Amino acid sequence: MAQIELAEIEKIFRVGDQTITAVSATSLAIEKGDFVSIVGHSGSGKTTLLSMIGGIISPTSGKVLFEGNDIFSLNDDALSSYRNLKVGFMFQFASLLPVLTAQENLLLPGLFGPAGRAADWKKAAELLDTVGLGEKIHAYPSQLSGGQQRRVAIARALMNDPELILADEPTGDLDEETENEIMDLLRSYNRENNSTFVFITHNRDLASHAKRQLMMHHGSIREQ
Amino acid sequence: MPSTFTLQSLALRNLKRKPLRTLVLITSIGLLVSAFVFVLSFVRRVDSAVRTASDRLGADVIVVPSGSRGAAEDILLENRVKSFYMDKSLIDRVRQIKGVDALTSQTYLVSITGQCCDVPETVVVAFNQDTDFIIKPWLQKAIGRPLHKGEAIVGSESSLNISLGLTEVDSHLFGNMFKMVGVLEKTGSGLDTAIFIDESNIDDILRKGKTSLKKDQISIIFVKVKKGVDPSKVAGDIGDSIVEVNAVARKDIGRNILGTLKELNRIFFVTVVLASILSIFLVWAVFSAITNERAWEIGIMRAVGAREVHVSRLFLFEVISIGVAGSIVGVACGTAVAVMLAKNFMLLKKVSTDLALVERAVIALISLLAGTGICVAGALFPIRRLKKMEPLLAIRKD
Repeated sequence: MAQIELAEIEKIFRVGDQTITAVSATSLAIEKGDFVSIVGHSGSGKTTLLSMIGGIISPTSGKVLFEGNDIFSLNDDALSSYRNLKVGFMFQFASLLPVLTAQENLLLPGLFGPAGRAADWKKAAELLDTVGLGEKIHAYPSQLSGGQQRRVAIARALMNDPELILADEPTGDLDEETENEIMDLLRSYNRENNSTFVFITHNRDLASHAKRQLMMHHGSIREQ
Repeated sequence: MPSTFTLQSLALRNLKRKPLRTLVLITSIGLLVSAFVFVLSFVRRVDSAVRTASDRLGADVIVVPSGSRGAAEDILLENRVKSFYMDKSLIDRVRQIKGVDALTSQTYLVSITGQCCDVPETVVVAFNQDTDFIIKPWLQKAIGRPLHKGEAIVGSESSLNISLGLTEVDSHLFGNMFKMVGVLEKTGSGLDTAIFIDESNIDDILRKGKTSLKKDQISIIFVKVKKGVDPSKVAGDIGDSIVEVNAVARKDIGRNILGTLKELNRIFFVTVVLASILSIFLVWAVFSAITNERAWEIGIMRAVGAREVHVSRLFLFEVISIGVAGSIVGVACGTAVAVMLAKNFMLLKKVSTDLALVERAVIALISLLAGTGICVAGALFPIRRLKKMEPLLAIRKD
């Protein structure tokens, strides 16, 4: 059984009188431990597809199965728990809470986890050190550059040891050297933990690092 | 290790990031709660003063000259200085009414500085110590013996006017020298500002001719009814049998004031309800703006695992913090305003009783709950709308 199965999923957005089909009747299976890239033009439906896998937006029709369970048939508590414990999501924009320091932003998922509190201060500091921000653990997002904020968000996605990491343009505004460092980090994380890694990129070179490459076009996906 | 990081601390940080907006909300709730506390204090104080005064009179029915009921209530409940008289022979006619157990009379004389008396304008109450059941219990507590001829005892608040403390002083009343022998305890009735003398002094007062009182006149008859008899029935029978008098049962004493209070209550109620609705709209508008502004943050929180209940808790903690802070400010300001403005309201100036600490605490608690409740009510809808939003849509709302 594949870790993730998309069964004929479709996502239609309604904007006023118009309907926009972001993802159309797509099926896909991703095995545990896969390292998958998705490329495609802007508006091709990549982010929507990734968001449905991450459980942060529901499909209009079809099913998203994680280890055989339809995640959108779960109640709010169980679906939130899936996002909290199974998935690490990296957004394509700075996604840090402005009132929290870098370290506290990493502790945010812990606040909503089973323990119900932000406890692992040491691990947060270590992860920030790993992404090269050991000196900035007490800095607020406004005191960090765009690239530094992006690295904090990457570290946050790894905080709860997720089985599935979803990254939307994870190295979008990083310089080439940092981009390579981050990709090395994610690849080694994928190897060491056998976690599944699915990322979106415009960069075909970056996409070529993936074991499996997918392409999205007008809401449909195909293998490259 | 850094300081604690919880949903509550996150909520407080969110409030601090827009201090002016938080302050405006706290001030608005504070103003509403101030009005609430003031209105409750005002209404409660007048109501309790009237009820306390009538309860402590010790009589089931009062009988006054026809047309003088208002004047009698003014004296008994509001400390006003008035006089009215009827013929003493009416005592025997009232005694004949079925259901009357005991009765006593009082005569009210008005002292005027310079014209008759050393003391400021006040009511001087001449009472019959043989039949009295109104003053006697208080007199017993104060001096432990009856008043002798030429002696006077003053109500607790009158003592301030004539500077009578522990020292006995002499004063001229209606051309006669009286020895002030003590101060009565506070009764909570209008008679707290009066001076009391025995009825036997009236002949001497009449001889000096410094009062409008005529021989064999009295002002009021206090009636106790027999056990099991309805005072209203006795009052009705007295009124029906003796046309020269008005008889009022205890529960009806102060009915005019309470009626006026009821009207005031309605005005206050409508004002407070309108102000509350306005506050709910204000909180709703502000929290709609806050939830719009922070939708993407909530989307991020939901994406990393926050449940709907976490979103509710976060915002409720913010709104309750504002509500409680505003209510505390409001309770403090409202109480201060109620105490200060009491001196400017004729109705409050005239009533003797102030609110007990427990009553003030209850008003504070009710106001605190109301202020916080209004805040929560205003914020509920925007919070509910945001927590139900799918994370990606919340993130993209920005």
